[in-house]
Amino acid sequence: MSLPDDPPASAVPIKRKRSRFELGLTGIALLIPIALFVIVLFLGQYAWQAIGFNGIRFIGTIDWSLGNLYMNPVVTRGYSVPLGANYGILAFIVGTLFSSFLALLFALPVAVGTAIFLAEAAPERLRPALSLLVELVAVVPSVVFGLWGIYVLAPLISHYIGPGITAVLGFIPFFNIHNSTGSGFGLLAAAIVLALMITPIIATTLYDALRQVPRELRESAVALGATRFEVVTKTMLPTVRVTLVGGVVLGLGRALGETMAVLMVSGGALNYLPKTLFTPISTMAAFILSQLDSALGDPTNMAVKSLAEIALVLFLITLAVNALARVIVRGATFVRNV
Amino acid sequence: MRSDSKLRRSTLLRAAAAAALVAGLGMGVAQAAGVSLVETGSTLLYPLFNIWVPHFEKAYPGVKVTTQGTGSGAGIAQAISGVVQIGASDAYMSDQQIKQNPDILNIPLAISAQAINYNLPGLNDKHLKFSGPVLAGIYTGKITKWNDPAIAKLNPGVKLPDHQIIPVHRTDGSGDTFIFSQYLDFSTPSWANTVGYGTTVSWPAVQGGLGANGNPGMVEALKQNPYAIAYIGVSFYKEVAAAHLGKAMLLNKAGKFVLPTAKTISAAADQLVGKTPKDERISLVFAPGAMSYPIINYEYAIVNAKQKNAATAKAVKELLTWASNQGNSEHYLKQVEFKALPPAVKKLSAAQIAKIGG
Repeated sequence: MSLPDDPPASAVPIKRKRSRFELGLTGIALLIPIALFVIVLFLGQYAWQAIGFNGIRFIGTIDWSLGNLYMNPVVTRGYSVPLGANYGILAFIVGTLFSSFLALLFALPVAVGTAIFLAEAAPERLRPALSLLVELVAVVPSVVFGLWGIYVLAPLISHYIGPGITAVLGFIPFFNIHNSTGSGFGLLAAAIVLALMITPIIATTLYDALRQVPRELRESAVALGATRFEVVTKTMLPTVRVTLVGGVVLGLGRALGETMAVLMVSGGALNYLPKTLFTPISTMAAFILSQLDSALGDPTNMAVKSLAEIALVLFLITLAVNALARVIVRGATFVRNV
Repeated sequence: MRSDSKLRRSTLLRAAAAAALVAGLGMGVAQAAGVSLVETGSTLLYPLFNIWVPHFEKAYPGVKVTTQGTGSGAGIAQAISGVVQIGASDAYMSDQQIKQNPDILNIPLAISAQAINYNLPGLNDKHLKFSGPVLAGIYTGKITKWNDPAIAKLNPGVKLPDHQIIPVHRTDGSGDTFIFSQYLDFSTPSWANTVGYGTTVSWPAVQGGLGANGNPGMVEALKQNPYAIAYIGVSFYKEVAAAHLGKAMLLNKAGKFVLPTAKTISAAADQLVGKTPKDERISLVFAPGAMSYPIINYEYAIVNAKQKNAATAKAVKELLTWASNQGNSEHYLKQVEFKALPPAVKKLSAAQIAKIGG
């Protein structure tokens, strides 16, 4: 046997083994995109009739009614639906976007401050424990936030936060609690609960990025006579700003899809748009959950199909947000590699 | 000494065995105990089923019952699709649903009622009087203040506050919304023509209105909001009493104001026993009779008359028969403030239960 023959003889079976392993892995990995594809396909197919029946009114109007489920269905616009059925979700789209972006507004400064504190100011020995605490907030089940929202946050808004904001900004109708029920349940409560949920997501993403900022960069800044504040604001944050945007978009994705906690504190608005910071709202995800049981009683199934259409619209919105995150995160790695 | 790969394999094996065990558990129990039934649906009936099941299983050791609280709509849908044997619902099925599913039976298990509660500082000890049209006015935003002449007229001598009313409604689908909106629908033509009734209705946009999730959410919304009014199932009377909320007297069809008591609930049920049809789908809301409380309903078991086999059919019949007889004793029902079915209704139910076969 010549020596050069040996390596291929042993390499071939190993290679075959590995490729089978890789094949298996690929198959498993493909399950996720396939599942996604199947879900979208199902939603689209299931909602198809509703899309035809609702048309553009679906996202352009605010009147939602399942109609009279106990009378015989009537034919409206060529579809058999319950008498009086009308599906307009503009109020829920507005509620979803409004509460999510407001949550982001609250969460961003806290998250950035937390991340900078952890990366720069926290004592080295406490750092692991502190960052673990922040991460723990991210895994609190949303129903716990919801309960806290009902028993603590809503009364707090009703008795202190709301009147406080009104005392300062009450001359603007939007900030005047007297233009609402003053119950505490509504836009502000939903936004605060959501902010609590997304703050740790943004904070941990940013913290990880700050830890990866090259030592030389900081040292050069210090060598140039930068104060600690300047090191953070002029060197560190610009370096990680792309990751920050990615974290923000990830948090936003979570906020847009949050269901239970929002359902518990949003006040469940129907047929109107929020006029003040304290007005009840409904979000798309929470509305699907709250309406599903009654929708099941619709003998024409148009109600459930319209809920599927809401899911489809919500899916498209979150997909857009996530795609944006992907593009930004990829941009971040690209920048780092360069 | 175990090698690393051996350890990993044994862990894998154990996990697989656990998974197999979990998968086989349902089957194993069914085989050991004879028949396994699943009940799902109404969250109002769910506590009663949980009270019933241990006693029923003791009386019928061959049957195992699993209960779930998923909502009335889910109870009906899953009983139709055959996922579960017994669906629980606060509302009977519509004519169209029966037409589409002629084998599905609606069998009453008990009678429930609903109170109108409010949080009116200083007046919670007084039973304020309300009528269907006044409540409809409040929930459509036509009556906005507590001292509105329409409310004052029903409550002469009561000093009503000049404060905005906060009408609270359920955001989730609910049998309570069903019977409350029926009371408004049957008593107020303008409500019937615009909003109608259902387990969810398209609530008119009321400035200052509030949505709450579930009966616990309703109690909490009332507690936290002075000047609010809400409809709450009588099963929650303990929570309502503990929060010192007011309970309203309602105007019935005969023009009398009545509180929800054992006497007035039974009186209303008795009035409509004779009118209950063979398929037992009937609203008990706004019953005639001077003593009748206007917001009561049958709690239903939704069952397919054609079960998958004879053994399952037998078990379903045993459970329903037990529930509407032994299960209707005061001892069980008083724990959730439900009332027993009148004897004539039990007879109708027995005739329906007899139709179930494998």
